[in-house]
Amino acid sequence: MLLIPCPNCGARDQSEFAYGGLRAPLPPLDASIGDWHTAVHLRSGEMPVREELWYHACGCERWIVVSRNLTTHEFAPKDAS
Amino acid sequence: MQHHTKYSGFSLARHALSGHRHWPRILPDCDLRPSYDIVIIGGGGHGLATAYYLATKHEFSNVAVFESGWLGGGNTARNTAIVRSDYLLDASFGLKHLALDLWADLSQELNFNLMYSPRGYVDLAHSDGELEQFTLRANAMNLRGAKADILDLEALKTRVPQLALGDDDRFPIAGALVQERGGVVRHDAVAWGFARKAAAAGVHIFQNCPVTGFDIREGQLAGIQTALGNVDCGQAMISVAGASAKLANLAGFQLPVTPVNVQAFVTEPVKPVLDCVVNYNAGLSYVSQTDKGELVLGGATDGIHSTARRGTFNAIEDTLARATQMFPFLTRLRLMRHWSGTADMTMDGNAIVGDTPVGGLKINAGWGYAGFKATPAVGHEMAALLAGGQTTDLLKPFSLDRFETGALIDDAGIGPYPWLH
Amino acid sequence: MTQPFRLGEGGMIDRTQPLSFRFNNTSYQGYVGDTVASALLANGVHHVARSIKYHRPRGIIASGPEDPSALLTVMDAHGTTPNLKATEIPLRAGLEVVSQNHWPSLQRDAGAMLQAGSKLLSAGFYYKSFMWPKDAWHRYYERIIRRMAGHGEADISPDPALYDKRNIHCDILVVGTGPAGLAAAKTAARGGATTVIVEQDHRLGGTYLSGDASDRDIPQDAEQEFRTLSNVTLLARTQAFGIYDHGTVMAVQSRSGSAARAIMWKIRARRILLASGAIEKPLVFPGNDRPGILLAGAARSYVRRYAVKLGNRAVLAIACREDRAATRRALQDAGIEIAAELGDGDTLLGTTGRARLKGVTLRRSNGQRERLACDLLCVSGGWSAAPHLFAHAGGNLAWRDGLGLVPQGAHPLIAPVGGARGTFDTATARNEGRAAAHQAMGELLMHVPMPSNLPSPVPPARDVIASGHGKAFVDLQNDVTRTDIAQAVHEGYDDIELVKRYTTLGMGTDQGKASWVNGIEEIARVIGQDATDIGHTTFRPPYSPVTIGALVGAETGRNMHPIRRTPFHRAFERANSVFQTSGDWLYSRYFPQENEDMSTAITREVNAVRNGLGCVDMSTLGKIDITGPDALEFLSRVYCNNFATIKPGRLRYGLMLREDGIVFDDGTIACLTPDHFLITATTANAGSVWRHLQKLAQVEWPNLDIHLTDVTSHWASLAIAGPYARELMQALRPDFDATREAFPFAAVRDGTLGDDLPVRAFSVSFSGELSYELNVPAGYADALFNRVMAAGAKWNITPYGLESLDVLRIEKGHLSIGTEIDGRRTPFDLGLGRMVSDKKDFLGKALLTRPALQAPDRPQLVGLKPLDRTQAIPPGGHLTHEALTGSVQKICGNLTAAVHSPTLGHSIALAFLVNGQARVGETLWVVSPLAETSVEVEVVAPHFYDPDGARLHV
Repeated sequence: MLLIPCPNCGARDQSEFAYGGLRAPLPPLDASIGDWHTAVHLRSGEMPVREELWYHACGCERWIVVSRNLTTHEFAPKDAS
Repeated sequence: MQHHTKYSGFSLARHALSGHRHWPRILPDCDLRPSYDIVIIGGGGHGLATAYYLATKHEFSNVAVFESGWLGGGNTARNTAIVRSDYLLDASFGLKHLALDLWADLSQELNFNLMYSPRGYVDLAHSDGELEQFTLRANAMNLRGAKADILDLEALKTRVPQLALGDDDRFPIAGALVQERGGVVRHDAVAWGFARKAAAAGVHIFQNCPVTGFDIREGQLAGIQTALGNVDCGQAMISVAGASAKLANLAGFQLPVTPVNVQAFVTEPVKPVLDCVVNYNAGLSYVSQTDKGELVLGGATDGIHSTARRGTFNAIEDTLARATQMFPFLTRLRLMRHWSGTADMTMDGNAIVGDTPVGGLKINAGWGYAGFKATPAVGHEMAALLAGGQTTDLLKPFSLDRFETGALIDDAGIGPYPWLH
Repeated sequence: MTQPFRLGEGGMIDRTQPLSFRFNNTSYQGYVGDTVASALLANGVHHVARSIKYHRPRGIIASGPEDPSALLTVMDAHGTTPNLKATEIPLRAGLEVVSQNHWPSLQRDAGAMLQAGSKLLSAGFYYKSFMWPKDAWHRYYERIIRRMAGHGEADISPDPALYDKRNIHCDILVVGTGPAGLAAAKTAARGGATTVIVEQDHRLGGTYLSGDASDRDIPQDAEQEFRTLSNVTLLARTQAFGIYDHGTVMAVQSRSGSAARAIMWKIRARRILLASGAIEKPLVFPGNDRPGILLAGAARSYVRRYAVKLGNRAVLAIACREDRAATRRALQDAGIEIAAELGDGDTLLGTTGRARLKGVTLRRSNGQRERLACDLLCVSGGWSAAPHLFAHAGGNLAWRDGLGLVPQGAHPLIAPVGGARGTFDTATARNEGRAAAHQAMGELLMHVPMPSNLPSPVPPARDVIASGHGKAFVDLQNDVTRTDIAQAVHEGYDDIELVKRYTTLGMGTDQGKASWVNGIEEIARVIGQDATDIGHTTFRPPYSPVTIGALVGAETGRNMHPIRRTPFHRAFERANSVFQTSGDWLYSRYFPQENEDMSTAITREVNAVRNGLGCVDMSTLGKIDITGPDALEFLSRVYCNNFATIKPGRLRYGLMLREDGIVFDDGTIACLTPDHFLITATTANAGSVWRHLQKLAQVEWPNLDIHLTDVTSHWASLAIAGPYARELMQALRPDFDATREAFPFAAVRDGTLGDDLPVRAFSVSFSGELSYELNVPAGYADALFNRVMAAGAKWNITPYGLESLDVLRIEKGHLSIGTEIDGRRTPFDLGLGRMVSDKKDFLGKALLTRPALQAPDRPQLVGLKPLDRTQAIPPGGHLTHEALTGSVQKICGNLTAAVHSPTLGHSIALAFLVNGQARVGETLWVVSPLAETSVEVEVVAPHFYDPDGARLHV
């Protein structure tokens, strides 16, 4: 099982989290259909490192954004920011 | 010119006399031509089936198939080999039911034993409410001319005697939908069977030859770049499952597709113990038994994006726990091997087949974990599209633009969350 | 004479503890410390199996899990377990084992006739045949083939054994306790690292155990030391079968004679030292599969460790000279005559014997042929590394002649040592183990990776022993011969993966342990390439087959998934409720009184609610508390309807859309104060709505000043419903004004009931009658239920469950998740188009305007009534233009619900009908082919009962 690097709780087992898919920020609510279609449906297919969302359900109850290599499952080290 | 031998018990006996040293190769060697009428990118079941139908039903033999690895080595080699068409939505049902009709004759047509075994697909319902929804589905199938039945507990006990139907079940079973025409097919044989006949009809099949780029001029396909060299062509089809987004990127467009990992498992081979396919719906798990005796199990996807082709362990535990609910005796058997593949999953869980923003370039992607059963139908219909230029009725609903228009085909009503499908 | 082939002294068996066992109904004796294999060999039994395809007699060739042939069925208190390897079954008293897949017996097997047709049964023969006549495959051939395939029989009776799962974390995991592993483990343990040691055998020691006596002392001393150290966990009979993500190793521990038959260990290690050793390569030559032919290392093991005299007269065909010398010494110590030793340039031409080896034919390097009588042939083509777990974890392997597939490159978590990386020399292996342990501990302490400087392993010197022509087996379990491989390659199945699948090489229960390396060399030879260029197939867990019971653990039956019960569960049990599993929950379905069936109970309950008073559990609904100055703004974005003017103390029905415009969930939005709201979500979506709102608040709109709290489990919620609901509400003595004017429909009040019971009351109705949902802190559920039942007795208050709730809501036309709200509908489809606000922006607004979502020919929610009111509309039916014709019919709609309405006195249904809203008044048919029923219906609005809602305001 993946060991997910929660910035609040440290590295915790995958079973504590719910998965939220690739990071795809929502446009402003009044943005065009085209913008919404792109954000909700299209994905760049860039590989292998992607940003994704995990919800720490059995922990801090925060949604975290992490970078993971989808082929090796390695998490990228945290950004300086 | 390759001598093409018909496979049969007689030819087997004849070749036995010479120690099986003179069987012809299933794929003759071929040299890359500078141009092809149609290029198929992806030598899995769908791509090879399309090539076969193009060459034999539409007389297009100036066709090349480029496979980046070994023949059928993608999801065709990795799936759990189940065929069925028990879907509620018209669009989902249509292609898969055409496939069932085609599967029935395909071994003879390809002269390759695909071991099509319509042994029955039993879909378990866990409440009266769920059984009512299954009734809706079974009725829809019957009204479309496809036979499906609902089994109550008594009938289910008779149909699958080894199924545990007791009070100790965590999600007690209320009944089942059964499609007797559903069953299994030998997955490897499908790729080999289509490839052999397509090659015999003149299709060029290149293994270990990835496509590296597209030559697109003013929005029209002009050529394809491959590891073996460049070819001119005006029509091509991308049919590469887990690599769909990568190929789309090369062609300059995006797809509403992301990769998820799907696992499958086999036990050690045992004497016959299960004569149908059974599916458990409270968290997915399904079981069948191969003709070699292994029990094959599969379940839901791992629920995360991945191209690792290597599963997470909790998904294994979930699938096996549910399989054991159905068949408690499984606990004594031993898991021999488990493997994975990358399923490309779309934003409504259904495939994308048809036009792309690039003229002349067609896509066949997003089959998730449901592609194998549709193999001959996809080939049949895509060949018609590539040969005639018209999208067939069965393919129309699967257009890429349905995400822009809102004409979604979401079987389970899950939404634009591919990892949940 | 018992155990005629047992040596009088030596070995690691306990001669003071003899054990009786039976094999194929014959009694034998062995000792504690034996495996079934060693005990059978000590009794002179070599022929223990028949091969799967040709039914050739097979014996024991190895001493561990790499044995491809000796599969047996064990019968014991756990039932019948097939396919266990004789080399892996520890001998126990009373053990009953039988051989598999032969008829009528092991000795006389009719299946052996297949050998006569073996030329027909070439690789992939089934792909070329069995196609005529059409359908014959499934009808006839398949049945026969299935009966002949498969090894043992599965026992389908319930398994009484217990299984369990355990978790353990450690700094260092050592896999294997041969020379490298033991050295690594000692180093790590003494160094203070938390250390877990797993060993698949029941004794520690690996190759030490087939050495001389001083070798065998080393692991015993080490074990004693480990047992004194508190930082060490030692797990014997434990196979580490796979490595998964981020340092997770899964292992299964076999335990016979204890409460749990097998335990799965989930080991999370910071570093893994892989000392899984090496596997000996058999030789491929004609007749290489007879009982009496053993791998040289296994032969030494049986002699040294198990004190077995394997035969009387032996021939040695062993490529590595050191191994040959050691084998010679061992056999001589056991009193076995050595007839010949093959060396460089000699050729094995064949063997004779049926159920036991009788002789060997060979040709010397000088051309001289010899025919030798013997009953034991020890073979070895050298050793191959067993780095499987390294490959599971994504490590790369490279082919090296004489070493097999060896790990290449570094891996951040796993260090292979000893045989697993191709080091077959004991002293070097020990040094590697020590060095790797030091390095791992250093990395853990200093948090920096340290480059490994282990030297590249050097293949030991090997003589080349050649093979003659003839039927030579590469994979003994699947009967794959050298000819099969050549045929596959010639037919064009020449990628290693295609060879594997076409011939089934390496796909047996041994997963190619003793066959893959030879297979690669064969393929290379046939193709004419270097083995380095052939590649290898993917190594997949499990290393050896693992009992599924251990992978399920105690999560069987009811324990597979936790059951959630509402706070009213006990109270409802006392009220005789029948319960229903639904998702995580156990719900009340109905409350039968004396002799009532479900249908009668439902009618009674529904009538009670419509005409008197009922109460129902609403606790499972999601409840989310939102506070903050931006709470209203947040909610306004999340729901599609406009409630900007909502006042404190009031509530509205809300419709929540997905970001793509499809209806996601519905519920109520209650305003407690301008900065404090409480929303409800459906039970099925409680979790996903919570996560959805959290995501919007934390990730998408972090600038909004709000705070969310999930209070679903905080409140127990009981709805009281019926014309007398207000009277009951008042009889419960709330400290707020509960008159019709002061507490109207769609309002919320906080207060206390009877001076002491805190309550939050919502005047909402799912049933369509006057109704209050009374929320109390969950621990007070019993108190509330008791008071409600006591005070409500005068109106004959009737508890009701999900079934009646469903009938009531269908009569009213309220929507339900899964049936009407099924993840594919827009608000317009559901008849709630008027709720979609055009005055504000909300999530889903843009994509809701997509053309296909606005099209008039979409299926839209309607109601249906049978023209003949005595007919019952069949559940699961579809709308068509004519009655059932028995052939294909066009469907124009489908039912979502069909029930008998006690209130209206006839059957009613809800359905989605193409362009339904414009078709009210039309007549159609509902057909159900399964029920062979056609019912003519009229299309009506989907609100059968009190469409104006007058009952809510009485």
